[in-house]
Amino acid sequence: MHTKEKPAAVAIRLVIAIIIAAYVLFPFLLLVINSGKETSDITANPVSLAGSSLGQFRFNIHEVINDPNFLFWKSFGYSTLITVVSLVLLSLFGAMAAWVICRNKTVWSTIIYFTFIASMIIPFQVVMLPLISTFRDVGKFIGIPMLQSVPGIVFAYLGFGGAMTVFILNGFIKGVPFDLEEAASIDGCTPEQTFFQIIFPLLTPVITTVTILNGMWIWNDYLLPSMMLGQNGKVMTIPIAIQKFVGSYVKRWDRILPAALLAIVPMIIIFLIAQKQIMEGMIEGAVKG
Amino acid sequence: MKKKLISAVLASAMVLSLAACGTTGTTGTDTTAAPADSAEATTQEAAPADTAATEAPAATEATGDLGEVRLLNGKPEINDQMQALAAKYNEETGNTLIVETIGGDTNASDELKKMYQADNMPDIFVIEANQAANWDGMLADLAGEDWTNKTGFELTNDTMGTIGFPYTVEATALGYNADILKAAGVDPASLTSPDAWKAACETLDSKKDELGITAVFGWCAEPTNLGWSSGTHVFGQYLDAGLKADDTTYIDLLNDGGKIDEARMKDFAEFIGMMNQYSDPALLVDGTYDNQVQGFKDGKYVFITQGNWCVTSPEDVSFECGFAPYAFEDGINTIIAGPPSYWVAYSNGNVDGAKAFFNWCAGDSAQNILVNDAGLVSPFDDCQYEAVNPFYKSMNSYITAGNYSGWHTMLKKDGLQNQTCNVFADYAKGKLDADGFVSTMAQVISSYYAQ
Amino acid sequence: MGTFSTGRKVASFGSLILGLVLTIAGLGLSMTGAGDLILGTLPINGTPTPIIFGRGAMFVIGIVLFFVGLYLFPTFKHHRAIVNIIFLFPLLFAFGVTVIIPLFLGIGYSFTDWNGILMHQFVGFGNYARMFKQTAFLWSILLTFLFVVFNMILVNLVAFLLALLCTSRIKGLGFFRAAYFLPNLIGGIVLGYIWQFIFSNVVTKFTGTYSMLSDTKTAFIAIIIVYIWQYAGYIMLIYITGLNTIPGDVLEASAIDGASPLQTLFNIKIPMIAPTITICTFLTLTSAFKQFDVNLALTNGKGSVQFLGEYIANGTEMLALNIYSTAVINNDYALGQAKAVLFFIILAAVSIMQVRISNKKEVEL
Repeated sequence: MHTKEKPAAVAIRLVIAIIIAAYVLFPFLLLVINSGKETSDITANPVSLAGSSLGQFRFNIHEVINDPNFLFWKSFGYSTLITVVSLVLLSLFGAMAAWVICRNKTVWSTIIYFTFIASMIIPFQVVMLPLISTFRDVGKFIGIPMLQSVPGIVFAYLGFGGAMTVFILNGFIKGVPFDLEEAASIDGCTPEQTFFQIIFPLLTPVITTVTILNGMWIWNDYLLPSMMLGQNGKVMTIPIAIQKFVGSYVKRWDRILPAALLAIVPMIIIFLIAQKQIMEGMIEGAVKG
Repeated sequence: MKKKLISAVLASAMVLSLAACGTTGTTGTDTTAAPADSAEATTQEAAPADTAATEAPAATEATGDLGEVRLLNGKPEINDQMQALAAKYNEETGNTLIVETIGGDTNASDELKKMYQADNMPDIFVIEANQAANWDGMLADLAGEDWTNKTGFELTNDTMGTIGFPYTVEATALGYNADILKAAGVDPASLTSPDAWKAACETLDSKKDELGITAVFGWCAEPTNLGWSSGTHVFGQYLDAGLKADDTTYIDLLNDGGKIDEARMKDFAEFIGMMNQYSDPALLVDGTYDNQVQGFKDGKYVFITQGNWCVTSPEDVSFECGFAPYAFEDGINTIIAGPPSYWVAYSNGNVDGAKAFFNWCAGDSAQNILVNDAGLVSPFDDCQYEAVNPFYKSMNSYITAGNYSGWHTMLKKDGLQNQTCNVFADYAKGKLDADGFVSTMAQVISSYYAQ
Repeated sequence: MGTFSTGRKVASFGSLILGLVLTIAGLGLSMTGAGDLILGTLPINGTPTPIIFGRGAMFVIGIVLFFVGLYLFPTFKHHRAIVNIIFLFPLLFAFGVTVIIPLFLGIGYSFTDWNGILMHQFVGFGNYARMFKQTAFLWSILLTFLFVVFNMILVNLVAFLLALLCTSRIKGLGFFRAAYFLPNLIGGIVLGYIWQFIFSNVVTKFTGTYSMLSDTKTAFIAIIIVYIWQYAGYIMLIYITGLNTIPGDVLEASAIDGASPLQTLFNIKIPMIAPTITICTFLTLTSAFKQFDVNLALTNGKGSVQFLGEYIANGTEMLALNIYSTAVINNDYALGQAKAVLFFIILAAVSIMQVRISNKKEVEL
């Protein structure tokens, strides 16, 4: 059937695709060109290149990076730390839990599994307010601050990300032949050896998927860190920093736009590197979830 | 043998991974908990019990180190100067002041509630007078401190005593560009009646090109980012314009379940209607603070609906500035002046550090920075610096003549400005007429008070 | 089999006991309010520095030791059960503390007059009664439903059309897919600021009118536009996957039978990707319901509207933002919590209904 298509139809579709792409990418273009302008040029000519220069761009970025309300490197560092530690722990503990739940068909494992699934529907707003008081009290009780601290927020991500992670991993582990484990057990492998030496390596593709899904969520998350870390805490993530930064000015676009650009650049770089994996991971996550 | 080795490795791997979150936790406590610990212990108890705890660090502080004091500044426009103030404080006294700035889009009081929830309260923070009730029992009594003898502007509260340190005196009315008025032959002193205003607007509007102005008023009723300007400051003129500083007629009426004086509101609405008519349409509905202030500085607008904070340095403007009253009724000749907000000390925080800072801040070197660099107007009697603020001369003439009203708008129910600012915006867009403005105001206010 | 070295037994029991002791000691120190344990002082640089063994460290080390002991416990019979417990514990513990406890606390708080710090009394259904008297809240429910319906239809439609475009034969398919997906990478807050700039500074240049964000109706449209811009690319990817699962020979067969492209679309493609449509509808539904970031950054809920004879100032405030501002901005935590519980109920009901309906449809087809 493909051979029947008229070249004109193909050309029209290409034009449409280009127009849509232009529309989708236009905000990014505006962001870049206006990051290199002074306020007056931005308000006078937001769409043209007039007034945009590399020198001004460097100046704006420099001003923003070192702004005491933004502290790009600090918030970038914290965002990275929180995201990476959360992802590693989520994948490890998630895989461990999913394996136990999947391979033990008891009443308990079923209850746990369905609790996880049911919890995925809970909107964050329901738990957000008591979460803070719980974490404050737990933190005081055990003597480790759970608010405004990296361990606290990592712990929260473990709790909130756990359900989805277990759900997706569980679906995958079901498909891993049980014979493998039986064989290992006959060879004298203990359960934990079986898991770490045989099962865990097999999970690599699905762990990539959950890592991408959780990573996108944690990196961009605003509400949880804004409640747990606060705008003025010692620990800041990029979404918090940019919100605080914008709040500390009275709409200075020559500062806000470069800050927004800085905030999205890490994500875009990662996307360019691992485009295929990210897109596939997002699809997998949606189809499985 | 091999199996044992493997299990040992696995076990230690597991311990390590578990400890990974444990160790970050413990190092966290070691560094952060040390100074905060005494405060942390006290926050668990109710406020009255903490005197003992605050006394304990005081004993060790006799050596000269008052610990770190965190100040939450609500004025983003003076953030740089506040950082300079902190550096100066450290240089002169060896004490540390950390300035954190919140403002613009984010209301400091909203953020403070979150900080309170998260046990992350600063030692000094900014409040408006009506917010004292939110912090009942949590603010330190500053009575008897040296600085209180030098000013009459401190904030006092029935239950908590002297709680607020006035860091600035601010005035708001219709700021004007005296040079343009002169060129157009309008005497600002005559602007004390609606008719005089109307005549002045017509004159100015007809000479637009000649004067090189875009519009008579730089007035912006955009609600999302500038709701504080319309909902609190401009609305405050309805409450206070023409009244003496201690006259609380309309704020009392308002706080009595959200009542308004309809006749007065009608006159006010007519006046705002005139401002809408002669404002820059590009600014009126969806402008920003920066556009508004920049336009005034560039001489594009004759009047601006801000206060002395919008032009802080004489270098910013090439013309003389002054204030004219919102004369929406005959004979109104006052501006609003006083401290709009205060710094308070959190009683569970480093109170001694805060007190020391306040005393230093009322002194010469701090006032030098606040007055000369930040362009603030000092509330202290012994301050030797004549404010550099371009509006100061005009502002001072009103104050010395006794023609100033209070910032009673800060006593309205917290959050009311988020409602009323939309009414201003709709009026500006033409969705409401003057009568609609009055009736909508009445309805919005009474239903907000009823909640 | 059956024997364990003494070393292992000692290690096991030792760490079990030490772990328990440390955990209990750590908790005990905080319950008695004694604070951290000071082991002694060391003169460092002349000043005596206390060696602090924090209760937090004590607690964490205690738990870890306990599990090490449990792991080494000399048993073959129960070893598997022990491993299961150890494997489940970290995630379940975090889940319990962050989701389950706050959930029940939250439901409990919604019946009290909790102000975020203290609660004085039990008010029964008082908060629930109170929230339905707030016209602004009713409006925000209505607005949220409108938003959800518009988005569900528009995002799916746009995404499906994009997917058709991206599965047809054009050059640079990979580029277009990536480009359309790109906005989905950006967090709502940053995105909100970028679009605020576009609406207030760029769009106004062309239209010469007020910013779209300054009027409730147009601001609502603006939020929908931004949302589609962000989300359609993602949903498109899922549709592409669905469309690619349609076997090529089915399509060829229909082409041979002389079916027009439109007939192929409605009679073959759409029925065959019904499960994908279910997934996509579900995804757009739940995410539109929970919309918060863009709403906050774009309008912060401002805008006026006449509703039930009342003038409402927060005309673009959707449910999630309304809950947030009720609690955090207006300091009414109990009311915010009650609204959140209602939000949960609505979301659960709608999700279940949606899955039911879609499942039925699939069977019928």
